[in-house]
Amino acid sequence: MSPIIAVKNFTKKYREFHAVDNVSFEVERGSIFAFLGPNGAGKSTTINTLCTILEKTSGSLMIDGKEIDQHKDYIRSVIGVVFQEQTLDVKMTVEENLKMHCHFYRVPKSVMNERIDFVLHLVDLTKWRKAMTNSLSGGMKRRVEIARSLLHLPKVLFLDEPTTGLDPQTRANIWDYLVKLQKEKDITIFLTTHYMDEAEISNRVAIMDYGKIIAFDHPEALKKQYTCDKAVIASSDPKQLSELLEKYAVTYTKEKQRFCLEMNDLSKLTRIVSEHQLSMIDLEIRKGTLNDVFLEITGKEIRE
Amino acid sequence: MRIISALCMRNIKLFLRNRVQLILVLIVPFFYLYLLSTIFKSTAISDPISYVLAGIIIIVVFQTSLNIATSTIDDIVSGYMKEVLVSPAKRVQIVIGQILSSTIIATFQGILILIVGYFIGLRYDSVLTPLAVVATMIFVGLVFSAFGLFLAMSVKNSQTFQITSVAFTTPITFLCGVYVPLSLLPIGLQYIAFLNPMTYAASFFRALTLEKLSQPVNDLVSDQLAFKISNIIITPQISFFVVLLFGLLFLVLSTVTFTKVDFARINRTQTNKDIYDQ
Repeated sequence: MSPIIAVKNFTKKYREFHAVDNVSFEVERGSIFAFLGPNGAGKSTTINTLCTILEKTSGSLMIDGKEIDQHKDYIRSVIGVVFQEQTLDVKMTVEENLKMHCHFYRVPKSVMNERIDFVLHLVDLTKWRKAMTNSLSGGMKRRVEIARSLLHLPKVLFLDEPTTGLDPQTRANIWDYLVKLQKEKDITIFLTTHYMDEAEISNRVAIMDYGKIIAFDHPEALKKQYTCDKAVIASSDPKQLSELLEKYAVTYTKEKQRFCLEMNDLSKLTRIVSEHQLSMIDLEIRKGTLNDVFLEITGKEIRE
Repeated sequence: MRIISALCMRNIKLFLRNRVQLILVLIVPFFYLYLLSTIFKSTAISDPISYVLAGIIIIVVFQTSLNIATSTIDDIVSGYMKEVLVSPAKRVQIVIGQILSSTIIATFQGILILIVGYFIGLRYDSVLTPLAVVATMIFVGLVFSAFGLFLAMSVKNSQTFQITSVAFTTPITFLCGVYVPLSLLPIGLQYIAFLNPMTYAASFFRALTLEKLSQPVNDLVSDQLAFKISNIIITPQISFFVVLLFGLLFLVLSTVTFTKVDFARINRTQTNKDIYDQ
């Protein structure tokens, strides 16, 4: 099956500054694709260009087999967008916002109310239908935006940092809704984020830095390629543990009073501990994260 | 058509929900009427109340039309315009929706004052005059809505817009002969008034409202319904064509600007940081 999004040698320049520099990638239909990277990496520029808000400098960007700058109207009719910043009409009610969207996307009037019922139910906001939008909390507004973006049954849903500024519980709830939606409607979700856990649930991750894609694969494959699981231990006698680890040539890094070593060395550690009757006060098995991938490739944390 | 009517309905709904604005719209013009009719009594004008009322109606239509600029900037600042622009709606449809809704609101306000004006002495000999008056309000509403939209599209951020808006609306409002008779203005300001499109709109609208379009030119000049630039007498009919040309120019300019403008370049924030620089 042809990819729903195909980007080839895409470059976006602001004067001499390359916001996105010769980027190529493809997104499979019905998948969740995440763009991960620090602020300023070029994620929003890419998403805004794919959404027809910005013009490309060069390259080819196709959605559903059509070049976006030649078929803007078609592209706009098959995508749903939730922008990083709030774009609701706060002077109108939730229902009015949804109805306006239906008018803009020419949703048939005969199915308009049915669709509004459906999307509000999906984001659990049915009883807020008549509420003024400015009376809703940040998380609820975000859910209205997600509901609104689904009204015209888009093929691709673009989410630009959809949970930025929201509390952890609201973030988790929104992700529950999105995963449910992706499964129920077989929609392609394209998201940008700088939260690791959000990128983890995707089928493919592109890690971006300074306008370039520096890694692209399934999250697990990336972690397998660039990271290894770690054992983090703490002893009541850190000095002795440190001496023993050095004596037995176990490579480690120190995190305050804790010792971080590779999982391969865990059996060696167990032997040291039992032979020298060391008392361990904590042992944590830490899985490799996408942040570790980013750290491994760029030498810096994703949040820097 | 569906997009245009949806935009119109939305803007009208927002206007009607603003009750304070609705009440002020009715009160403020009559405050000016009271104030100005005393000033204009000192001139040679035969029916100062009707004369001033006609001027105030057209000023209200003008000012309300210009509100389209503020509401468009508000929509950009609030982020809502981004939702509109990413939809399949064509920009021309958005322009038409914005201009039409602004014109409808402006005409509605003009009609409200016209109705109240009837109870304080504004009378017509011909039944066609009120229809022509309303048609002119629609015309002037369209002209200045187009001008307002062009103004909104020409600024880079909301702060600049506020300054630009005041810089344009103040001279247009006060140097058009509605609040201060042109003959009482210093010569320098009179020349500025001649460059003001509202001078022509007010002149034509007054002559129409007072049913004096067919009056001899000399009478029109003495009633301050026509004015002289050097040796040329600008009759209300000429004024109409000046406004028409101005309107056509800004209709084209606002449509072209709105269609071409890169909204990503308009600063939405209170700082100078571009929101898309992220």
